Amino acid sequence: MWAYILRRVLYNIPVYLGIIFLLMAALRVNDPIWGYLGKNASHEAYAAMEKSMGLDQPLLVQFWDFTSGLVTFEEVDGVSRWKAGLAESWSDKGRPVGDLVGDAVWPSLSITVPALVLTSLISITIAILSAYYRGRLPDKVMMVSAVLGMSISFLVYIIFGQYWGAYVLNERIGGEFFAIQGYKSDEPGWWVTYCLLPVLISTIVTMGYDTRFYRAVMVEETGRDYITTARAKGATKRKIMFVHMLKNAMIPIITRIMITLPFLVMGSLLLEVYFGIPGMGRALLQAITTLDFPVAQLLVALFAGLFLLTVILTDVFYALVDPRVRLQ
Amino acid sequence: MIGPMKRLLRSRGARKLGRDRLALASMFVIGAYLAIAIAVGVFGLISGEEAIFRIGPDQLVGAWGKPTVEQRMHYLEFYVDQVDQAFDKREPEKALAAIDFFGLRTVSTDEDVMAEKLETIFDPFDELYELQEEEGFADDPENFARLEKLEVDIAAMFQQPEGWERRYRDIGLLLGTDRQGRSILLRAVYAIKVAVQIGLVAALVSVLIGTILGGVAAFFGGWVDHVIVWLYSTLSAIPYIILLMVLAAMFLGSPFEGTLIPVYVAFCMTFWIGPCRVVRGEVMKLRELEYVQAATAVGFGRTRILLKHIIPNTTHLMFINFSLIFIGAIKAEVILSFLGLGVKNEPSWGVMINQSRQEVIAGFMWQIGAATFFMFTLVLAFNILSDALQDAFDPKHV
Repeated sequence: MWAYILRRVLYNIPVYLGIIFLLMAALRVNDPIWGYLGKNASHEAYAAMEKSMGLDQPLLVQFWDFTSGLVTFEEVDGVSRWKAGLAESWSDKGRPVGDLVGDAVWPSLSITVPALVLTSLISITIAILSAYYRGRLPDKVMMVSAVLGMSISFLVYIIFGQYWGAYVLNERIGGEFFAIQGYKSDEPGWWVTYCLLPVLISTIVTMGYDTRFYRAVMVEETGRDYITTARAKGATKRKIMFVHMLKNAMIPIITRIMITLPFLVMGSLLLEVYFGIPGMGRALLQAITTLDFPVAQLLVALFAGLFLLTVILTDVFYALVDPRVRLQ
Repeated sequence: MIGPMKRLLRSRGARKLGRDRLALASMFVIGAYLAIAIAVGVFGLISGEEAIFRIGPDQLVGAWGKPTVEQRMHYLEFYVDQVDQAFDKREPEKALAAIDFFGLRTVSTDEDVMAEKLETIFDPFDELYELQEEEGFADDPENFARLEKLEVDIAAMFQQPEGWERRYRDIGLLLGTDRQGRSILLRAVYAIKVAVQIGLVAALVSVLIGTILGGVAAFFGGWVDHVIVWLYSTLSAIPYIILLMVLAAMFLGSPFEGTLIPVYVAFCMTFWIGPCRVVRGEVMKLRELEYVQAATAVGFGRTRILLKHIIPNTTHLMFINFSLIFIGAIKAEVILSFLGLGVKNEPSWGVMINQSRQEVIAGFMWQIGAATFFMFTLVLAFNILSDALQDAFDPKHV
């Protein structure tokens, strides 16, 4: 197994370097210097800024500097620190990128983690019910509403969610239950005020997709031989459903949840931007639109690394729980 | 492509699809949207100017909406202002003649006639305007009568258009107007063209690129396979929404910003991954089959086998992916518009939904409702079609 993991890691290194290189190249299509200096800057100022940003170097040199920084630690004031995180943000002058990213992680997680838990619980329950009543009215109603829900834009859910959940509700109760916008984590009950509404919206949006997937997984399991055997043995439908089937269906379910884990860190971009939550997604959008290359590069490098590692771990997990799968 | 299409149409899957009423209905809906898109884009049913033309007061409710008293006062204020402002201009007669809201013109362009009419309106309007602030205004039937009389008087300053012009104006006002007084219906219908354009380009190009690369990768193997797999693994190592953002942001500040070009580029470079992966898997299976060995034994070249014997057998996957990418493109367009990286020069559903954020807070739902309805219908039809296609041609897919 260790040989397999090592081989997968080695294989994924070019993929990882590839995404960073492509990102750096795509970002550099735009010239950030005029934006930071203003259109009337002198050519000397331009050259000085270009040098201080390291943009006068060829792309390959910049690429090498950045990627080597990802695996280097540097001594700062007697403390060993990650070199990639020490680079300075351009738009937030002088702030180390690592701190900036570190601050953005918690707001993102405080929305995505509860949303994932809630979505998974609800959609697995619905999927079980749906598979249990397969082809009958409850199943049809649930699947039709999933398709209907999937056909509406995410943005519409957010706009109406904010309108009904914040504006209308606050007016009705005459106070502020859900905040319209913003994020503060130092008040009591802040999570309910600032995060619960985005969590609920995110749950409703993702539920359709998840429910359909989980139901498909369960329906696929119902066609297997061991279910026929159990039925021939005379086991009740309920027992087959919850004892035999659910256990086997758990494998693809857990795999799917595992694969979504890295996305939690990236946060829900739209929700963060709309509700003004200072998370990773919003930081990335700002970095891309203000051409703050160090921040954008670090965020993408972190995410891609996390994603590739999770994919490898998911494959290993699959082999561990399902003896039919061999790692090779 | 004709041969495999015919074969696909005669296949068992196609017969299954033909019996699926819901799938047929969704194909009909998609066909209708396509027809409208062609009518707008090719035959100019609605021109770009008409979609940005002011046709009345802002945030006018649709034909079956009931405006509140405040809204009615707001509309009246708009019409009074229009005439009033004309008198501030250096040549009032010319300014009066220039007033034309989609066929709605002033009764007369004569300065004196209009000034006289305006004089009689000012006082009752101001009175009512102040009364409106007071509580219980809407409950008093007397106020109501005054409002209605004022509405008649103000309407008398304008001349309703006749015949076709009138019908066209009624259609334009059917779903109300947005914050800039533009027709919501015309914009939403014009946006069908934009959506179909984006969907078609994204889906056709992505499926084409994906199928060719996937087929080549699986069939030739070796380093070609490694390079293509590396390319798509690389691009799928970040969420597609971030990839779209990075790609669309490349055009910020360029002359293409706000046009459809950044959207096309971002979508085509992102969405080819799906079909590529699926087709690669399928071709891996197909190339081991006996008929391919037979073709090799006959002495056909490898490119010919790939193009004539293998790729045609992936047509069903192309259709499924086409449908899926079309949905993805329409939905992603809304998100790009919201992030400020999408279409700006033309009305699209994304632009409309994004613009309606302020209106929703004010309780005005017509624009978001119209854009969502038009988009919902098309996306729903494609969702149903994708499911039906998958059921018919690729039933093992989870």
